[in-house]
Amino acid sequence: MPGFFQEHLRPLAGSAGLHLGLVALLGVAALRWTSSQPPVELAIQGYVVDAPAPAGPLPQPRSAPAVQPPAETVKPPEPVAEPPQEQRAEEAAAAERATAAAREQRQLEERAAQEREAQLAREKAAAERRLAEEAERKRAAEADAKRKAAEDAERKKAEAAEARRKAEAQAQAEREAKSRAERESDLQRRLAAEEETAALARSGVMDEYRALLVQTIERNWIRPPSARAGLQCTLYVTQAPGGTVVDVKLGACNGDQAVRESITNAVYKASPLPAPRDPRAFERRLEIVFQPTE
Amino acid sequence: MQSITAALRSRAAALTLLAAALLGPVPGHAQLRLDITQGVRDAVPIAVVPFGGQADGGAADVAAVIANDLRMSGRFAPLERRDLVARPTSGAEIRYEDWRLLRSDFIVVGRVEPDGSALAVSFELHNVRTGASLLAQRLPSTDKGLRATAHRIADLVFERLTGIPGAFSTRIAYVAVDGRPPAQRYRLIVADADGYNPRIILESREPIMSPSWSPDGQNLAYVSFEGKSSAIYVQRLASGERRRVSARAGINGAPAWSPDGRKLALTLSRDGNLDIYTLELATQTLTRVTSDEAIDTEPEWSRDGQSLYFTSDRAGNAQVYRVVLDQARKAERVTFTNAYNARPRVSPDGKELALVTLDRGGYRIAVMDIASRNLRVLTNARQDESPSFAPNGALVLYATRDRGRGSLAIASSDGAFQQRLSSDQGDVRDPAWQPFAPRG
Repeated sequence: MPGFFQEHLRPLAGSAGLHLGLVALLGVAALRWTSSQPPVELAIQGYVVDAPAPAGPLPQPRSAPAVQPPAETVKPPEPVAEPPQEQRAEEAAAAERATAAAREQRQLEERAAQEREAQLAREKAAAERRLAEEAERKRAAEADAKRKAAEDAERKKAEAAEARRKAEAQAQAEREAKSRAERESDLQRRLAAEEETAALARSGVMDEYRALLVQTIERNWIRPPSARAGLQCTLYVTQAPGGTVVDVKLGACNGDQAVRESITNAVYKASPLPAPRDPRAFERRLEIVFQPTE
Repeated sequence: MQSITAALRSRAAALTLLAAALLGPVPGHAQLRLDITQGVRDAVPIAVVPFGGQADGGAADVAAVIANDLRMSGRFAPLERRDLVARPTSGAEIRYEDWRLLRSDFIVVGRVEPDGSALAVSFELHNVRTGASLLAQRLPSTDKGLRATAHRIADLVFERLTGIPGAFSTRIAYVAVDGRPPAQRYRLIVADADGYNPRIILESREPIMSPSWSPDGQNLAYVSFEGKSSAIYVQRLASGERRRVSARAGINGAPAWSPDGRKLALTLSRDGNLDIYTLELATQTLTRVTSDEAIDTEPEWSRDGQSLYFTSDRAGNAQVYRVVLDQARKAERVTFTNAYNARPRVSPDGKELALVTLDRGGYRIAVMDIASRNLRVLTNARQDESPSFAPNGALVLYATRDRGRGSLAIASSDGAFQQRLSSDQGDVRDPAWQPFAPRG
């Protein structure tokens, strides 16, 4: 074995020396890379958190929704590989740089795109908010208008009712006044008539007139056999000035059809009824009671 | 001025209070009150216009039959046909002013129309003064039945205007005698109430007397001497079938039907003098009712069938007595007014008796109120006999003798009027008015 060792001592030593040198170099390079190279900006993983699309009726908050700050996560540095050979390291570093730059570029672009999207989302949200607010304002305005209209109608109704009540009250007052006046004048008329009647009665004219009427009607009453004692029938008779009978109405009557026919005809046949000696004794309305004695 | 107004006001107020207290609602105007206690008994003027569809005159002249019935009742005065100013045949054609000018109170119009193979008679009754339609009917008829239909119309008009059912559709029975003794001919006749359509029920050379109607109006009882002595027969009018119900020794006379139709009251002389008996027709059971030494005759049943009225001379002259059948032989006298009262007939309402009374020298027909004994003389001839009430009580049929010859006459039961029925049937006597047919 020593033989082999001996034999290969030199190349081995040389190789060992080279390795040592490389390691030393790598160590220096690594030291320099870590200290002098500006730290590579690491990709930022950020998420724009969209506010949920307005769904359904809002009340939309007045303030803009808080945009969640982009979350930053730092990637841990790649574990340093075993220092390659210097040349390879150079190339690797360059490639690494290029990649980093590209990544950085992409990240920038992504970030810009995200920001645009966020912006768009914000704008959209704002626009929707405006629309919602507009709709809300419109609804509110409409409700307001409706309420106002209802209030107006109510008020008008109340005013009309009030006006009607007033008119009725006035009409009632007028009616009462009128009927009072009528009652009073009626009373006075009756009083006057009563006095006149009393005067006529005193003079005997009234009795004479009554007797004349009774006689005339009795002469015209053909008494049917069913008109016996106990019969009582009343006729209400209206005569025109001049004595013409203009209306005969049957009042209470316990007689049969034959009796009713006969008494009605008695009055019509007596028409024109005789006139009183004194025209003041004339009475338009007569109450004639048929009450035969046996 | 002020004080007058004030006084007026206070009086007015007082008057108002008074009126309110006494009268309740105050009438708008004064009224004159009249009390009518009397009327007149005049006949009611009525126009009966000849019916359309008929020639004037003839036995079947409907309007003439109606007018005659109404005139006969004494309560109506039909307008003479020559005075008719128009001839409406329906209510729509009546111009009331025309008839008022004629002083008619009522008007009857109508027409006779063919109705299939028969006839129909339509009529209307209107009040001329008020224009009211009081009756409007259409009655079926036939050529031969027109007079009967006319009587029916007269009945309806009479009832509507008097309150009393008309009796013009009923019939009368009487005895007619022809010739001189010994060649006399007796006939028992049944005729319409107005004397038309006489029908001979029995003809005999011997006397026929005292026809009496059964309560249902279907049978006649009468006395016939056809076997040379008196016997009582009952004859059914519809069939002519008859049977002898009493032919006892002596006199069999004056049959009168009980209200239930099961018995006859009659006069028999089998016990020496004339007395009243009852005879049960189905069993021939004879029951003596009176046994007085005087003459008892002419029995008549009270409406309740519990007693008999009869004529008796037990007080020296003829008077009417009543005997309650349960307490026979205790008859009580019911007539006192005149020296002679006989031949009693009870009114349909049972409250009055028609009888023959000797009044101021004449034998006359009178109606007596049973309760008050008030006697109302209806006739004024010298020899009136055999009164018989119409079934509605409004009229009394009787015979009146003039120079030995009898004829029929009618008086209204209130005495307002009498009328002789013309007759060409010789000496007519013993009339009897048929009762109303039982209703239903």
